[in-house]
Amino acid sequence: AVLCISGGLPKPTNITFLSINMRNILQWSPPEGLQGAEVTYTVQYFIYGQKKWLNKSECRNINRTCCDLSVETSDYEHQYYAKVRAIWETNCSKWAETGRFYPFLETQIGPPGIALTTDEKSISIVLMAPEKWKRNPEDSSLSMQQIYSNLKYNVSVYNTKSNRTWSQCVTNHTLVLGWLEPDTLYCVHVVSFVPGPPRLAQPSEKHCVRTLKDQTSALKV
Amino acid sequence: GQEFQFGPCRVEGVALQELWEAFRAMKDIVQAKDNITSVRLLRKEVLQNVSDTESCYLLRALLKFYLNTVFKNYLDKAADSRIRKSFSTLANNFFVIASKLQPSQEKEMFSISESARRRFLLFQRAFKQLDIQAAQTKAFGEVDILLTWMERFYQ
Amino acid sequence: DGVAVLPAPQNLSVQSTNMKHLLMWSPVIVPGEIIYYFVEYQGEYESLYMSHIWIPSSWCSPTECPECDITDDITATVPYKLRVRATLGSQTSAWSTLPHPFNRNSTTLTPPVMEVTKDGFHLVIKLEDLGPQFEFLVAYWRREPGAKEHVQVVRSRGIPVHLETMEPGAAYCVKVRTFVKVIGRHSPSSQAECVKVQGETLPL
Repeated sequence: AVLCISGGLPKPTNITFLSINMRNILQWSPPEGLQGAEVTYTVQYFIYGQKKWLNKSECRNINRTCCDLSVETSDYEHQYYAKVRAIWETNCSKWAETGRFYPFLETQIGPPGIALTTDEKSISIVLMAPEKWKRNPEDSSLSMQQIYSNLKYNVSVYNTKSNRTWSQCVTNHTLVLGWLEPDTLYCVHVVSFVPGPPRLAQPSEKHCVRTLKDQTSALKV
Repeated sequence: GQEFQFGPCRVEGVALQELWEAFRAMKDIVQAKDNITSVRLLRKEVLQNVSDTESCYLLRALLKFYLNTVFKNYLDKAADSRIRKSFSTLANNFFVIASKLQPSQEKEMFSISESARRRFLLFQRAFKQLDIQAAQTKAFGEVDILLTWMERFYQ
Repeated sequence: DGVAVLPAPQNLSVQSTNMKHLLMWSPVIVPGEIIYYFVEYQGEYESLYMSHIWIPSSWCSPTECPECDITDDITATVPYKLRVRATLGSQTSAWSTLPHPFNRNSTTLTPPVMEVTKDGFHLVIKLEDLGPQFEFLVAYWRREPGAKEHVQVVRSRGIPVHLETMEPGAAYCVKVRTFVKVIGRHSPSSQAECVKVQGETLPL
C-alpha cells in the first residue's frame, strides 16, 4: 500500500455505480480544487455481510475516474459497497464511499435488439432480449430474461403519414403489425421493462421502415 | 389483479409498488446508519431455495418479527419524517400480509414448517447478536432483500 | 405548548373518489387572522402497536385551507385514524379526530374517461392516467349480431394503446371499466364508443 498522509487531499465526489445489464462501473468526480494536479486514484470494494475490503488491482493508482467492477459484483443477489481515494505525491484523501449497491434492483435494463422486415401492409418485428454483461465475448450468453422472468417490452409504433403513435405491451419476441398503409414510413422504438421496483430503462433507438408500394394499384396502371 | 401466492397462502390487497416506493424513499438514510456492514441478517441461507409451501411459514415468521420487534419502538428514535412515512407504509402493509398468511398446521406439514423455523432462527440469532437499536436499523435497511424475495411470489 | 384557546376544527369528513382522498373540515374563523391547520394520521399498525405515535401528513403540516389531500399518506388498505388541529401564533386548539377511521377500500370508483380512435385499420384507445393503482379492463367487439366480446387488461396510462387490427368496412365498439387491485374492486363500465373502418366489408 502507498504510504501517504491521509486526509491531506479533499475526497473524490459524486461516487456512484452506473449499471446497465449488470455491467457495473464505479465512477466519480475528481476532488475539488486540484485542477492540473496529477491525481491518481485507488479503488476498493466490499461485499455486504462479509469481513474485509478487497482490492481491485487494475484500479490501483489509476488516472481515470472510473473502474469496472462488473466481475467483482457479478453475483447480483449480493449487495456491495465501493470506495475510492485520491493520491497526489505524498498526500491522499480519505475514502469516499458509495451507498449500498444492489445490482438486482439497481441495474438498468438495456433495450432489446430489433429486426424489422416489411411487405406492403405489414411489418414483422423480431426482438432479441438484452444480454447480461459478460467478461469475455466468447463466454456463454445469459439473457436478462433469465434473470427477470417477467421482463416485458413496450413497443411504440409511429405512423409518419397520420402522425399517430400507439403502443403495445408484449412478452414474446415476435410481433406482426398487419393491415398497415402501403408505401408509408413507420418508426418503431422499444423499451424493456420489469414490473416491480422502479428501475431505469433505456429506450432503443428509433428504427424506421417503409411499407412497400401497393402492387395491386401498380398493376392497374 | 396482481396478488401474492406463497404456496397455499394467497394474499391480495397489497401493491408491491407502494412498498418499493416507501423503501426507496428512506433507503439511503437508513442504510447509512447501519455501520455493521460485516453482518447481513437476511443471508442467502435464510432465503435461498425456499419452496412455495415453505414460503408461507417463513414469511409469516419474518413479518411477525418485523412487526413485533423491528418496527416496534423504532419510530420513537426516527425523527426524520421521510422515515416515519415510509415506516408507516411498510408496517401497515406487512400487517395486512401477515394477517392473511394462515399456513396449515397439520402434522404432515411439520417437516416443512420446521425447515422454515430453522431458517427464521438463523435470522433471529444474527439479529440478537447485535445491540437492539443497531439490529433494528439493519433489519429495516434489509427490507429490499425481503421485498426482492417476496416479489418472486407476486403473480 | 400553547394554551388551547382556539376552538378545534369541526365536521371532519373524507371524500374519496378514484383513490384520491380529501380530508375536509369546517374552518376555524378568527376575524382578521390566518389560521394554520396541522393534519396527522395513524394506520392500524400504529394504533395497535404504538398508539402514541402520529405521523404528520405529507402536504398539510401546516396548511391554510380547511382541507387536505391525504392520498399520499394512505398507503395501505387498513383503517386510518386522522386528526386536525388549528393554530394561531402560539395558540393551539385541541385535536379533532375523524369520527370513524378511513379505509381506502371505501373509495368511489367512476367509469374512466377514454378516447377511442383508429389509425387506418388499427383500433387504438387512450385512457386517462388515474395513477399506478389502476388497471383498465377494456372490452371490445365487432358490431354485428352474435359478435364475441374480447377483453384486454391495459396498464399503460395516458398513452395510446393498440387494441385490435380491424377488418375493412366493419364497425367496432369499446367500453372500459377500471380495476383497483389493492382494494379488489371494479368501477362501473363506461358508455360504449364505436368506430367504423372505411373500405368494403370483406366477402366471407
